[in-house]
Amino acid sequence: MPPAPAVELNQLSKSFRVRRARGTGVGARVRDLFRPEQHTVSAVDKLSFSIARGERVAFIGPNGAGKSTTLKMLAGILQPDGGEVRVLNLVPSRQRRQLAFQIGTVFGQRSQLWYQLPPRDTFELLGRVYEIDPRTHRRRIETLSSVFGLGTLVTTPVRHLSLGERMRCEIVASLIHSPRMLFLDEPTIGLDVSAKAMIRELLWTESEREHVTLLLTSHDTGDMERVCTRAIVINHGRLLWDGSIAALRRSFLKTKRVTLWSEAERLELSLPGVRVLSSGTYRTELEIALEITPLGQVVDAALRQAAIRDMAIEDAPLEEVIRALYAAADDRGAPS
Amino acid sequence: MTASHVGKYAAFSRIAATQARSERHELYGRMAFFAVILGVFSSLWRAVAEAGMPIATDPKSLVWYLAATEWILLSAPPIHIQIQEAVRRGDVVYRLGHPVSYVVAEFAGALGLLAVRAPFLGLTAFLCAFAFTRWTPPLAALLIVVPFGFAASALITALYLGIGLLAFWLQDVAPVYWVWQKLLFVLGGLMLPLECYPAFIQRAAAFTPFPSLLTAPASFVLGTHFMTPGALAGRLVIWSIAIALGVTWIFGRAVSTVTINGG
Amino acid sequence: MVADNLSFTRALIATNVKATLALRGAFVIQVVFMVLNNLTFFVFWWALLQHVTTLRGWRLADIQMLFGIVAAAFGLAVTAAGGVRHVGRFIEDGDLDTLLTQPKSVLVHALGLRSQPSGVGDLISGLIFIAWSGQVTWRTTPIVAVVIVASAFILVACGVVFFSLAFWLGRIETVATQLWELLVTFSLYPEPLFGGALRLVLFTALPAGFVGYLPVRIVHEASFANVALLVVAATAYMALASLIFDRGLRRYASGSRFTTFG
Repeated sequence: MPPAPAVELNQLSKSFRVRRARGTGVGARVRDLFRPEQHTVSAVDKLSFSIARGERVAFIGPNGAGKSTTLKMLAGILQPDGGEVRVLNLVPSRQRRQLAFQIGTVFGQRSQLWYQLPPRDTFELLGRVYEIDPRTHRRRIETLSSVFGLGTLVTTPVRHLSLGERMRCEIVASLIHSPRMLFLDEPTIGLDVSAKAMIRELLWTESEREHVTLLLTSHDTGDMERVCTRAIVINHGRLLWDGSIAALRRSFLKTKRVTLWSEAERLELSLPGVRVLSSGTYRTELEIALEITPLGQVVDAALRQAAIRDMAIEDAPLEEVIRALYAAADDRGAPS
Repeated sequence: MTASHVGKYAAFSRIAATQARSERHELYGRMAFFAVILGVFSSLWRAVAEAGMPIATDPKSLVWYLAATEWILLSAPPIHIQIQEAVRRGDVVYRLGHPVSYVVAEFAGALGLLAVRAPFLGLTAFLCAFAFTRWTPPLAALLIVVPFGFAASALITALYLGIGLLAFWLQDVAPVYWVWQKLLFVLGGLMLPLECYPAFIQRAAAFTPFPSLLTAPASFVLGTHFMTPGALAGRLVIWSIAIALGVTWIFGRAVSTVTINGG
Repeated sequence: MVADNLSFTRALIATNVKATLALRGAFVIQVVFMVLNNLTFFVFWWALLQHVTTLRGWRLADIQMLFGIVAAAFGLAVTAAGGVRHVGRFIEDGDLDTLLTQPKSVLVHALGLRSQPSGVGDLISGLIFIAWSGQVTWRTTPIVAVVIVASAFILVACGVVFFSLAFWLGRIETVATQLWELLVTFSLYPEPLFGGALRLVLFTALPAGFVGYLPVRIVHEASFANVALLVVAATAYMALASLIFDRGLRRYASGSRFTTFG
């Protein structure tokens, strides 16, 4: 029998009653408590998907799409209003403590490291939080420190660490109790390019090495592409796409970006489905909608004008793909 | 100071007064505290009277005395906090080049706050003291406290300003503030008129502005004048000048620290 | 499981204190100045009691003991469980989220997240007052320790109750702080000053009677009944605090928050 999925959502729903505060002051607040002026906002609407053990999934959506809300329900922070959810075969809202031993969380904008102390002190405390045997704990810290290249960082007060260094320590902290599943909310936010690359690689390696399931939310498509193999796209609390990232790009947006260097100063390529992105002397950059005009036809048209010296063909960037996905969903009249 | 100068500072005062009205929360808290402390002390002085009063007056007067000193103290807006914040954030550095002197502007703003707090707290003081003692001192005594009380409160505000400016050198002015405040309580005779303290404390207090700020104005309520109105007025003027010079000097040192160390 | 929780609590307090000590200079200043602060304030009582030797049966030594116990209890509370003052802010800023993903009591963890350095100053000045009162012998020292700890628990419990109102009322920081400080204020005045109705309040809603008065009584005369009463009171208040916080946490987990639009 195959092992139970790491995450299983079935028609998961959550709405918030948003109260309009009538005024400031305790009196107004108490009145609001008893006779609130409110309307309901649906944050997550009958969301269903499942994640197998060891998968690395990117959870994507624009701001306010319901990502954080879903993540919180999975981690046991929020109670769902409807539907079912199981994480590592446990019900988060009812078995929060049991689940807590098996999951780790990294909130990009919130730290679990004590600011005035070196990370090592937080690691020590976490050892007691997760009731880890001291010898195992020590070995685990050593292993993770070496894998993540922490070196002297563990003994440097967190307030003296750069954001990238801090993030590495945060991730180590989240892995200290060898969780089976890791939830990451914007883990690379605010990091520079090299720090991002390092974090992504470490996450990928660690997940592979220890078979840790990852669920990562991010606005950075680089996070998605470098770390994850699967993307779940939501908007307005509803599922828009669930599949591999390659398939996302392939099946959704059938365009290619082609750059042509030719022997003519300018190329005239006014074909349907072909959009000129930029053109310089001897150089033209095009976006081609493959469903309308096949690639070969465009190249032929160019060759008829001049010889082609060089050509570069790229997939459309993932941002474009996702933007198109949201736009299409909105066009289809997804009610908000 | 030309009319336009005054106008500029008056504008700051008005803005701060509006802010004060929205800081009602804090003010209501002060009013509630007022009620509590007067209630506690009315019990205290009655209990003391059973054993023998420390000075030639009755417990009711001492409750009114406390109402007066607390009114003066609580009316002064605790601006040292916002000044410390401004210094920490580096905001002050931008204001240093501003034509309006930072210190004067802050003080004017604080006076605006004071103008709102003092009447509210004064009314609270009067009502609570009356509720707990069922008596009022002679009107003349109360009336003479008012102008001296305002002046004293303004001076305390200036002292808060000075403390706030220490943030240029100290990480956290709060510890200094705590001890300064307790010295004000004791040497200024907040809860117990200064004349009830041992001689050495009274002598020490004479070197500070504190008696002139609290015990002297409030003692008019007791009928036993700590100082005559004339003498008090003179003292307040002298201390105003001293404090103004002191605060200006501190600010001057602060500015030079900033320009030398680059903020 | 109890051993694990105790081990965690011990480690939490140790980490908390370590964090406060990390800024050594600021720590020392806060401690020293708080001691000076408390001693200076007490001069009022000292001066008053030079004139009146007893205040409804209370002598200077009794007031010193009262101050000592309350200051020490308060110091202990804000040093070991300094997070109590910040519970309202934790709730509003969503800082409880991380704690909810960990397998330990959210309340204990939240209380142990902050420590006030001046608390150590309060604790030291409390011990100074107690020693100065001359009412403690080597034999009564354990009793003094017990009442200080019980008193500290009650202070923390009441703080939790007041600041947990944020679960329902949003940003009530100022009101909660003032209520809590009111509790401490009342604890510092001898109980015979207060009449019937107020005395009832001081043993229920605002238990200054359990924080200050009863401990002093116990130090003077450690009757089994009084000690039992104090322990029961401390337990009851802690249970209440735990219950209210749990209820509030359930509400937090349902996502009801105060959002101001208008």
